[in-house]
Amino acid sequence: MESFVYHLPASVSAERLGRQLPEESGLELRLDHQVGREGLLLDTFDGALYNSGKILFSFDEGLLLFDLHDGRVLEQAGPFAGTVIGDMVKGPVVDLLAELAPLRAPLPVASLRLRREEGRLVDDEGKTLVRFYQMMCGRGQGRMVGVGCSLPLRGYEEAGEVLRLALQRCGAVPCGDGKEMYEALKLSPPVYQAKPEIVLHGEAPVGDSALLLLRTFLQVARANEGGIVADSDSEFLHDYRVALRKIRSLLSLFAGVFDAAATDSLKGQLADLMRTTNGLRDLDVYLLRRGDYHALVPPSAHPGLKLLFDELLGRRHEEQRRVNLALTGKAYKRKMAALARTFSAGRGALKPGPLATEASRPFAARLILKRYRRVCKVARALDETTPDEGIHRLRIHCKKLRYLMEFFSSLFPPAEIKGVIRSLKQLQDCLGTFNDLSVQQNFLATLLASAHGGGARAVPLAYAVGALTAMLASLQARERGRVFDSLALFCGEDNRLIFAELFDSRQEDDEDTRLLQQ
Amino acid sequence: MKILACYSNKGGVGKTATAVNLAYQSALNGYRTLLCDLDPQGASGFYLRIKPPKPKAAREGESFADFAWIAGAIRASDYANLDLLPASAEYRNVDIFLSRLKNRRSRLKKLLRAAGEDYQVAILDCPPNVSLLSENVFKAADRVVVPVIPTTLSVRTLEQLYRFFRDQGYQRRKLLPFFSMVQHGKNLHRDTMVALQKEYKRLLKSYVPFSAEVEKMGIHRAPVAVFAGRDQVAAAYRELWREVEGRVKLDNDKGEDGH
Repeated sequence: MESFVYHLPASVSAERLGRQLPEESGLELRLDHQVGREGLLLDTFDGALYNSGKILFSFDEGLLLFDLHDGRVLEQAGPFAGTVIGDMVKGPVVDLLAELAPLRAPLPVASLRLRREEGRLVDDEGKTLVRFYQMMCGRGQGRMVGVGCSLPLRGYEEAGEVLRLALQRCGAVPCGDGKEMYEALKLSPPVYQAKPEIVLHGEAPVGDSALLLLRTFLQVARANEGGIVADSDSEFLHDYRVALRKIRSLLSLFAGVFDAAATDSLKGQLADLMRTTNGLRDLDVYLLRRGDYHALVPPSAHPGLKLLFDELLGRRHEEQRRVNLALTGKAYKRKMAALARTFSAGRGALKPGPLATEASRPFAARLILKRYRRVCKVARALDETTPDEGIHRLRIHCKKLRYLMEFFSSLFPPAEIKGVIRSLKQLQDCLGTFNDLSVQQNFLATLLASAHGGGARAVPLAYAVGALTAMLASLQARERGRVFDSLALFCGEDNRLIFAELFDSRQEDDEDTRLLQQ
Repeated sequence: MKILACYSNKGGVGKTATAVNLAYQSALNGYRTLLCDLDPQGASGFYLRIKPPKPKAAREGESFADFAWIAGAIRASDYANLDLLPASAEYRNVDIFLSRLKNRRSRLKKLLRAAGEDYQVAILDCPPNVSLLSENVFKAADRVVVPVIPTTLSVRTLEQLYRFFRDQGYQRRKLLPFFSMVQHGKNLHRDTMVALQKEYKRLLKSYVPFSAEVEKMGIHRAPVAVFAGRDQVAAAYRELWREVEGRVKLDNDKGEDGH
């Protein structure tokens, strides 16, 4: 049963479509359902729906999702709440969205006139052979365009072919993504990428490459400001902070590429910027874990857990207000504009340092290899008795290595660099979980000390925090074992050879010399 | 997959109407349902507006016993979850098909799944006679739903059926008789129902009244619930399905042939 998913560049009446059916087929087209309404086209900020070939509409009665890969239509009653997908009322549409981007909130892309059409192809006895379904939409007074799907019923594939040809004669073209529809509606597809692909040139001076990276990360950070202030979902702040952290790491890691004094001052500014949102991000992380925490502790601790999260929600509200004030203030805007100038290629740019003119590729290879050896050295010094801080230090080194490899990934063979990044990511996941568990226990301890009120609230709150801390500690002990396992793999002989092969520039120089001498 | 047969050794008792309406109820309740029209007259297909497959559909060397042929002959009805295997001249080999149905049910299930379907319920609309075909039905089916008009003649045929089952060594517990085309105004109907309910403990409690709406299925060419959903006969089929479903589920619990 092959379905035909199509883009329709203009409305087609049932009569016109019906006229395209060959007379001898004895088939007749019936339009059963036609509803017009106002609605919205939705997508997440990072285009999770557009990028996966799905179109999401909302209107008064509910949500409707059209999957352009298989023509599936999912519907769900209830209004569009504008919250994070994970918090939306469960249903067929939300379940699918949750697989794509649970932490994102769908946001309006455009207001549309919508028209739903459902029809079928019947034979001379009134038996349905093919069903079709169209979602037409238009902006303002513009013409209606749409997406649709025709699906022959089992055993009626020939009739399915007849309708497909008729649709094509009316201008329908097969489609697998929303590109045609967005273009026809004069909408630009979502362009935001949390990790834009930055293509560097191996021969270019590393100073230029670094400025390009800095500019890009700053753009990513700035693109998220609106979403943070609107408080649509927590991923805006997350992406914002990752981008700023990358800027800061780059400035530290590329020692010598820029003027030392200028670098130090910038690092200070970045630290200040990050500090503004530290509290909000921490609270976001705990609130996102609400479900996990619930599952971790016995039901008797649930009332206390509710008090705990009420407390956190109250604090978050305050933090959000503070962050909004900071991000919309003049001082902040001036600071960001100054950073943009500093990272620009023109006048006023960051003063170069002694290494600024070195070619990017050898510079990258040297830094990556050095950092990898550092990770292995720190790892060798660890054993079962190492305190948590030791493992924390290793985590920081790994993060730096990861950033370096990601900054420069375009300079190395894609398959190989992806492979080593993947192996590092596995180790980082373990280290991250281990560290999170340790941070959470500390946080809970300080929270208990500083929680508002006492009396009736104090006992259940302390009980919940106690139960949670015990569970977190046992999870952390288990994670510790996993850290050592992945470490053995990451610093093992195989990986060391791969790193040497990919990043050891001396080997390459030898090869060049050998070729030149031939 | 559970196999339910609609069977009566007497004609005109509302057998096809039962098969079609039960199949519709099964599908409505979310079971992927295949209605198999084993009666060469093709009345089930007529009620669902599904034309019999063209003879060319069966190529040289293929027979009804070929599972691939079955998968290719299946047609979707206009209703969600309900497909039909239309009546066919190919049924001369139907006994082979049914013997396989019994012995290789798992294989049939696999093949139907391979054809893109995983039917949970198959309902067989059987011709009204005792033949090799009906005997195979008795072997293959999990339950045999038997419409009985509460008249002397129908009661006699039910007794014959039970005797036949006993003599041939078939499991009598498979038989699920129920009263069909009941006319409450008739003393004979009322008395017969009381008498039979005492005698046959497995007799279903729900019954289907005589109704002009059932006859109108031929005009509307649809299950009763589609065009007369509020009529008492539609309610009667809903109730009948619920009871049959309960009896079949009982087997599931015993793990006899879980799906």
